[in-house]
Amino acid sequence: MVSQTQTRVLTCIQCGKCTGSCPEAGRTPFNIRMLVRKKQFQSVVEESIPWYCTSCGACTLRCPRDVKPSEMIIEMRSALVENGAIPAAIQKALENTFVQKNPWGRSRAKRGAWFEKLDIEVPHISETESKRLLFTCCIQAYDPRCMVIPQNVATILTKGGVEFGVLGEEEACCGNEIRRVGESGLFEELQEENKAAFEEYGVKEIIALSPHCMNALKKEYGDLGIKIVHYTEVLAAMIKEGSIVPKGSFNKKVIYHDPCFLGKQNGIFDEPRSILNAIEGLEPLEFSRSRENSMCCEGGGGRMFFEVEATYQRNAEVRVQEAVEKEAEVIATSCPFCVMTLEDPATEKGITVKELSEILMEVL
Amino acid sequence: MKTGIFICHCGHNIKHTVDVKKLSNFFKKYPGVTVSNDYPFVCSEPGQDMISESIEKQGLDRVIIASCTPSLHGELFKDLLKKSDLNPFLLRRVSIREHCSWVGDDIEINTEKARRLILAGLYSAAHYVPLEEKRVEVTKSALIIGGGVSGLSAADFLSKMGMQVYLVEKEAELGGHVKNLKNIWPARKDGKSIIDEMIEELAGRENVEIFASTTISGFEGFFGNYEVTLDTLEGEKKLTAGGVIIAIGFSPFDPRIKPELQYGKDKRIITTLEFEHNADTLQLPEKPRVAILHCVGSRDEQIGKPYCSRVCCINALRVGEAIKDKYKDSYVESFYMDVRAHPRGGEEYFEDTQEKGVLFTRANVAEINPSLTGIVIRGEDTLFGEIFEREFDLVVLSIGMSPPVDNKLTASLLKITLDKDKFFMEAHIKLRPFDTAVKGIFIAGSCSGPKDVEESINHGRASAVKLFGFLNLGYAYVDPFISYVDPKRCSGCRMCEQACVAKAIKYDEEKRVVHVEEAACMGCGLCNATCPSSAISLKGYIDCMIDDEISAFMEAI
Repeated sequence: MVSQTQTRVLTCIQCGKCTGSCPEAGRTPFNIRMLVRKKQFQSVVEESIPWYCTSCGACTLRCPRDVKPSEMIIEMRSALVENGAIPAAIQKALENTFVQKNPWGRSRAKRGAWFEKLDIEVPHISETESKRLLFTCCIQAYDPRCMVIPQNVATILTKGGVEFGVLGEEEACCGNEIRRVGESGLFEELQEENKAAFEEYGVKEIIALSPHCMNALKKEYGDLGIKIVHYTEVLAAMIKEGSIVPKGSFNKKVIYHDPCFLGKQNGIFDEPRSILNAIEGLEPLEFSRSRENSMCCEGGGGRMFFEVEATYQRNAEVRVQEAVEKEAEVIATSCPFCVMTLEDPATEKGITVKELSEILMEVL
Repeated sequence: MKTGIFICHCGHNIKHTVDVKKLSNFFKKYPGVTVSNDYPFVCSEPGQDMISESIEKQGLDRVIIASCTPSLHGELFKDLLKKSDLNPFLLRRVSIREHCSWVGDDIEINTEKARRLILAGLYSAAHYVPLEEKRVEVTKSALIIGGGVSGLSAADFLSKMGMQVYLVEKEAELGGHVKNLKNIWPARKDGKSIIDEMIEELAGRENVEIFASTTISGFEGFFGNYEVTLDTLEGEKKLTAGGVIIAIGFSPFDPRIKPELQYGKDKRIITTLEFEHNADTLQLPEKPRVAILHCVGSRDEQIGKPYCSRVCCINALRVGEAIKDKYKDSYVESFYMDVRAHPRGGEEYFEDTQEKGVLFTRANVAEINPSLTGIVIRGEDTLFGEIFEREFDLVVLSIGMSPPVDNKLTASLLKITLDKDKFFMEAHIKLRPFDTAVKGIFIAGSCSGPKDVEESINHGRASAVKLFGFLNLGYAYVDPFISYVDPKRCSGCRMCEQACVAKAIKYDEEKRVVHVEEAACMGCGLCNATCPSSAISLKGYIDCMIDDEISAFMEAI
């Protein structure tokens, strides 16, 4: 059977909007327009090529024929996954996710380790009245650099009097990246597992900590009947209402980097900025490519799990370079993947990368 | 009952996938059928002769023609029955071409479907009664909504033919978008001079009344006598119009809908319309670098505008030419997906612009980002297969045509429909491109889809000619399909009175039942559906007719 993606692919007019929008184009061998052309004619595509896609979504969002090139890439990857012709690191991440329900292969039993040493009480969702779930995300549950994000957000929510609970080890990977590397079977399994947990505990609202999780829960889990938000939306509203008040000042020039899954894919641009703007002394700066035109950090679409073949200047380096030119002292963002990709080149240039919750914690 | 069934081969069209012989043989033996024939072209003269001969010789009282769609040759066959002294409403058309032979290649399936459709027609026709077309007196006046080129050219024709014209314009001035255009291609005239000429023509005519700064606040009645309420600067005004021409034009596309183009965030990113208005006052360096983007707001599924706006390629060429003419050492680059310079002379104009030095790069620009020194355009040159980032002093977006802002309001007021792109929909894209589905209401110009100045003028004239044809005699015939009430069943609940849009239902206080005023009834059927006692029926469309038709088709009879 011809898939829906395939029929849309046939309508491509080769205008180049996708390639022009693509964060990989021109610098790597990846030319998305050319791949669509090849797909139209069923031509052979070299196996390493589909893995460059970061699934930032710009091509699909802008395509005038609604071809959905990034979905086509997922189909190409699926075929490769089926044949086992995939990079070893991706294979490993998939196996890990299958066994431990997280791509890093950490013990599932330790998924709740991040809140054990906190001063505040983090209850299980079943013990809450609001049935408001804080969805942790794998990298933030295990990675020592990213673990501060759930810790900070949990602390801020508690300070502001917002009740919430967690699933702990019952939470499985959201599967956003798993679907994007072409393992739809595993994605569906993860989805079923999480959905069953949401149902069991009567979850009414989910605060997602990572834009990637939010995207999957919101758009790819079907209609859950659950309100799903990103934590920046909640904190922005709390600041507006006055339930949390940034008291200290942060006297630095801060440039904000829009994560693709929060910004261009889900239209959340103003809430993170309003949080920064509420902080005294903070001087906000903008990248020349910001908001809808924000440049992808290259952390999505499975790219967190492995290195691509070609060596080239990374977008994160380009991003840091501009931040330096604009005399920014801090690059702020609100996605764990962006933090990870931006931090190395930033440290090299002597500027700091901070996740929004880190800045907010400093001034509360 | 003496029914004649005539099955058309339509040459090869029906015959090649429907077994017409089998069909005619089947109905030959069917009760109530006097004649059953198949013929190569029933619409041809010998085909028509065959039918009229059968009517006369065999005394047919029902005629079923199984052929093409009823909307084709409708009047032809009606006239044929009239000539043979048979009431034209005793004719039944069955579409076995569009509904059968053109649908699939399986002869057996097609033939069976055709057999059942004809059978359904036969059972339905058994309930037919002779009806008389209704003659209505019409007012010889036209309401034209919109005073742009299209409306003005319609007003010109109708008033010249002696018809009373009411021209309504929302703005204070006539002329629409055209009055602001400069050096219109290919006439090389300013829009203002074209409009002034048209207005001057109308100015001396006594039978033209122009209402500027006016909107329509009420619209009632039916074909031939529409009751219109205008909201003018002097207050409310009522008038009667025999027919209406809608010519409310388009809205320029607002590029803010496409955030990646950053329109509205930098003064150096403008639209073709803004370029037109400010061409003389633009601040550009001596050797300006200008980028022109085609297809902004056209051919784009993401924003619900999948159509080509048809005028923007020529507009883009005009901008390029204007810059090149003014600044010899300028660098002008046009970014296109396809150059569709479709009007006569358009391709040559494209070539001229290339000769003048405008460069053409095949790229749908991905994004625009203002930098400190200029505007950076990013995209893929799809012919080189290379990513480019180039800086310009000015970016001109060649914007497309969006539906008029008042489209929904007008459509609901006049009870007409919009197409999928939210322009006004024509009754038939080929056969009736100026008509709406409502009799006596026509559309003209770009409100029915993107058109250039020349096309809009022609469209306005064509609609005017059509409307003139409808009203000129002072009377017209309308379909006799109107409602009637069975007073024995009417309970006097008066729900139909509420439902009736034409206000044709009157209540008799004494008898406590309703009746239908035939002259006012539009035959819409709303009262039939509303009546809880099934006391109201539509002439020519009674319930048992439809029940029998369905039963026959399902072979449940």
